Amino acid sequence: MSDTLDHSGLPEDDLLAAELALGVLEGAERTAAVQRAARDRAFALLVEAWEQRLAPWAAEIREVAPPPEVWDRISSALPAETTRNGLWHSLNFWRGLSLASGALAAACLAGLIYLGTLAPRQALVATIEGGGQRHFVATIDSVRGTVAVVPAAFSADATRVPELWLIPPDGRPRALGLLRADQTVVLALPPELATLAKNNAVLAVSLEPPGGSTTGLPTGPVIATGKLTSL
Amino acid sequence: MDLDSNRSLIAAALNRIPAGDRAALQTVYRLTSAKLFGVCLRILGERAEAEDVLQEVYVTVWRKAADFDANRASPMTWLIALARNRSIDRLRATRVNRNMAPIEGATDVPDTTAGADTALESVQEHARLHGCLDGLASHERAALRGAFFDGNTYDDLAKRMNVPLGTMKSWIRRAMIKLKACLEQ
Repeated sequence: MSDTLDHSGLPEDDLLAAELALGVLEGAERTAAVQRAARDRAFALLVEAWEQRLAPWAAEIREVAPPPEVWDRISSALPAETTRNGLWHSLNFWRGLSLASGALAAACLAGLIYLGTLAPRQALVATIEGGGQRHFVATIDSVRGTVAVVPAAFSADATRVPELWLIPPDGRPRALGLLRADQTVVLALPPELATLAKNNAVLAVSLEPPGGSTTGLPTGPVIATGKLTSL
Repeated sequence: MDLDSNRSLIAAALNRIPAGDRAALQTVYRLTSAKLFGVCLRILGERAEAEDVLQEVYVTVWRKAADFDANRASPMTWLIALARNRSIDRLRATRVNRNMAPIEGATDVPDTTAGADTALESVQEHARLHGCLDGLASHERAALRGAFFDGNTYDDLAKRMNVPLGTMKSWIRRAMIKLKACLEQ
């Protein structure tokens, strides 16, 4: 690294880092500085330090919600989803449980189908799966306005709770409520949401801080989803 | 949700991305896209360009999340720098800078109330930076502001403030030296 001092006392490298972080360079000068940051670790750290000094200024920039299609474009620009999802990969022990939980989920589903036959016109069911596991089975009774959710292979997380979301064709998740790993939960389905709960709408489960998401949208990872189908 | 838990939520989600966790990227997007879109829009001045760059930014986050080190930088610092750099690259490539109105020393006023929108950065950090910016000469502050918020180059700033290029370079350099000394006190 050059240790030439500017007339005013800062090393030339630090000034170049400041100019790059501030964004005043252009053309060959900017390109050279960007390339140097990519190969010279010491210089890159100087640039980062300047970015850190300046970043709080961005608090003055007004937040503007981008249109929803930007996320769709980002999502479709990502590589195809792999089955070795980080979360699931770290929960290897679940694999040992897969046979037993599969059988349990099948039994639950059979039970729900049996219940469903009692009121065949209004019932919708979704098997909520993720990472090759069936986690919950949900049945919507649109006459009573309820969602009954039976846990299958869901294993509780010490710090986060499962939250259920309804995602109609408009793509905007609506919070339905918190689920339990150890017992069936029956949640109320308000009329405005009941009209959105149709064939092909999706139920999704995300992991949220205790008490659930406070933003009105999932904040943690969506671990499982299932499409609603009429019985 | 308080500031610290929001910050750690973003950092935790960034750390899950290198394993291929798409939901983690979506979490980062939900928590930060309004701020980053604001940054892109401020620099580029045009929605379609800003949307394009915002897309590039998050695809870069997906690819480069492993470079983020929570011990070195706050997640918002890292993301804001990424959004500014991509916006500036786009601005330089299109060679159309929409933010070129003349700057008078006296019109050095923030475009929004200072600190009005600090949901994602620490209020103290912003106050401290502001204190140090207030210690600069008004022409120095105006030049830094044009560079940071409008993505102006040395050349743009010299034109906007009607001074020779060499003068602008020494204003900016001197201002950055003073700023660093003040922030390190």
